[in-house]
Amino acid sequence: MKKAATLALGILTSVGGFFDVGNLATAAQAGGVFRLQLLWPLLLGTLLVIFLVEMSGRFAAVTRQALPDAIRTHLGFATWLVPFLVLSLVHFLVLGAEIGGICFALHLVTGLPTPVWALPVAALVWLFLWRASFSAIENSTSLLGLLTLAFVVAAWQHRPPTGQILAGMLPTLPHHDPARYWFIAVSLLGAVISPYMFYFYSSGAVEDKWDDSYIGVNRGVSVIGMGFGSLISVGAIVVAAVVLAPRGIQVDDYHQAALMLTTAFPFWGFVLFAASMAIACLGAATEVALSMAYATAQTYGWNWGEDLDPREDARFCLMYTGAILGSALLILFGVDPLKLTLLTMAVNAAVLPFVAIPFLLLMNDRKLLKEHRNGWISNTVTLVVVVLSIVLAIVSIPLLIQGGS
Amino acid sequence: MKTVHFELLLGRKVHDSEGRRVGRILEVHAEPEGKDCVVREYLLGTAALLTRLGISAERLLGLPVHREPVRVPWDQMDLSDPERPRLRCSVEELTRNK
Amino acid sequence: MPRQKENGKGIPDELELARDILDQQVVDREETKMGRVDGLVLELREGRPPRIDHIEMGAVVLARRLSPRLERWVDGWRRRFGVRKVARYKAPWSDVQELTSYHLKLDVGALDTPTFDWERWLRDHVIQHIPRPLKGNGEEGEKKE
Repeated sequence: MKKAATLALGILTSVGGFFDVGNLATAAQAGGVFRLQLLWPLLLGTLLVIFLVEMSGRFAAVTRQALPDAIRTHLGFATWLVPFLVLSLVHFLVLGAEIGGICFALHLVTGLPTPVWALPVAALVWLFLWRASFSAIENSTSLLGLLTLAFVVAAWQHRPPTGQILAGMLPTLPHHDPARYWFIAVSLLGAVISPYMFYFYSSGAVEDKWDDSYIGVNRGVSVIGMGFGSLISVGAIVVAAVVLAPRGIQVDDYHQAALMLTTAFPFWGFVLFAASMAIACLGAATEVALSMAYATAQTYGWNWGEDLDPREDARFCLMYTGAILGSALLILFGVDPLKLTLLTMAVNAAVLPFVAIPFLLLMNDRKLLKEHRNGWISNTVTLVVVVLSIVLAIVSIPLLIQGGS
Repeated sequence: MKTVHFELLLGRKVHDSEGRRVGRILEVHAEPEGKDCVVREYLLGTAALLTRLGISAERLLGLPVHREPVRVPWDQMDLSDPERPRLRCSVEELTRNK
Repeated sequence: MPRQKENGKGIPDELELARDILDQQVVDREETKMGRVDGLVLELREGRPPRIDHIEMGAVVLARRLSPRLERWVDGWRRRFGVRKVARYKAPWSDVQELTSYHLKLDVGALDTPTFDWERWLRDHVIQHIPRPLKGNGEEGEKKE
């Protein structure tokens, strides 16, 4: 029973880390501009992310160490410092984007301007982390996250052309706007393979006290959890392709994305969109904020854990408090949530080598993982991620400048 | 008491008694001895880094490399100037003794 | 990690200093996480092998690993605004109780050491003033195994 409940960690990781504001925004753009042609980066990303999540869970189960912890221990402080600082900065922006997503959802429902919601939303996210234990966060978010299935239901109701869906799963060259095409493709990958997911998932596995006996469960959780996120994202692309593309809506603004569900659900469409977006972003915001606190506490060896009384890990708690407050200021001062999101997804892709290379090193440590170290399949996938991540790092910034606007 | 900071020693280039470069100190082996823990040997060169990471390049990349780190016994390492560690012998003598 | 010898302590009979000790998570006797092995000091002895004298913990020790200038800068900040009175916490090797692949256990109480100065200060000056949740209660929390 306890092990079945670990699925909650998978779904939470997935709702927060997979289907988040980045996925929603990039999926809406992909579907709106290129219809079903850009399903392939999503599927490629899903495949890679399943492997990476499985590895981070296996690593935590065997070594009782979360990834940032192990990276500092085994690769050393000097090697880890620059990736750590860069990733912290990126995560700060991602957190801002997620908080912006919740604020926008509230704006959609209430009509009040988005920035007005920045501080109340920050307070809500903070209160959630401050009050709730780790399992409460897992269970409530993964349960509420099922609401995002609305995108799949909507996609189903539109009876999308199966042939085109299958065709979109294979990479093809764009018929128009090549810069935009590749920019969205890279952003989709960046949105799917979010660095914080791995830090979060492995820290969560340590919080849930996994041991070797969880290796099998972990494999299932990675596939089902990430499969769930992928299904929602495919649903979002299909809906955008069917609803937005024929009307020539290219989603330069979240307001346009909000039309996505109104055809399938004429009356509830707006509210459902707002609720799905709010839940997905809330899950992601808690995940990013915790992930930042985990990474910092583990890097410096502070006491950490969502199940501890904040008196026992004051520094850990203040870390996520500061992160939430700081990134909410971005929204308060009027940064556009969609622009922030698209920027951070491209940057996510650019910093992937910092995530992928430590994976390759740690997962092959025979002294740590012994018989559980990577086999040739996992290593091949990790090598593909490393090579791909380096390519993405090189192309993402020029594409951001060329195709981003 | 003469001390040396291990964290600063790590990664330093070592030269042999004739001034030739031998490699960087990338790992140090030690053993408990009574209540103490004492240094046995210093490991130099890229192969030492792979040892430290527990990685075999052969397994990972399929390259047939079997490079062994340069092992320097504690009594052959002169740390009187920790910024410029030197061997008390030449590289050839080091490998001949093995 | 190799098998452990009968040395009365949970210390393996073969150690790799960079891999096993430097940067390792340090916990106290209650297994509360108290920091990391930021520095490791060896004593050089005439005619005998060098021995580990103590481990060091603290931001200035970390800063020193990057550059001496950064160390002076960090120490300046600590003097002006820091809560921590002692820059470097030094734990003699004899305090080390256990060494595993995931932690190094010291026979001390974290709260009594300077490594917890900031933790204690934040608890007393910040956390204490915010209504706290009903979690932890010390029953699980600290012991993770």
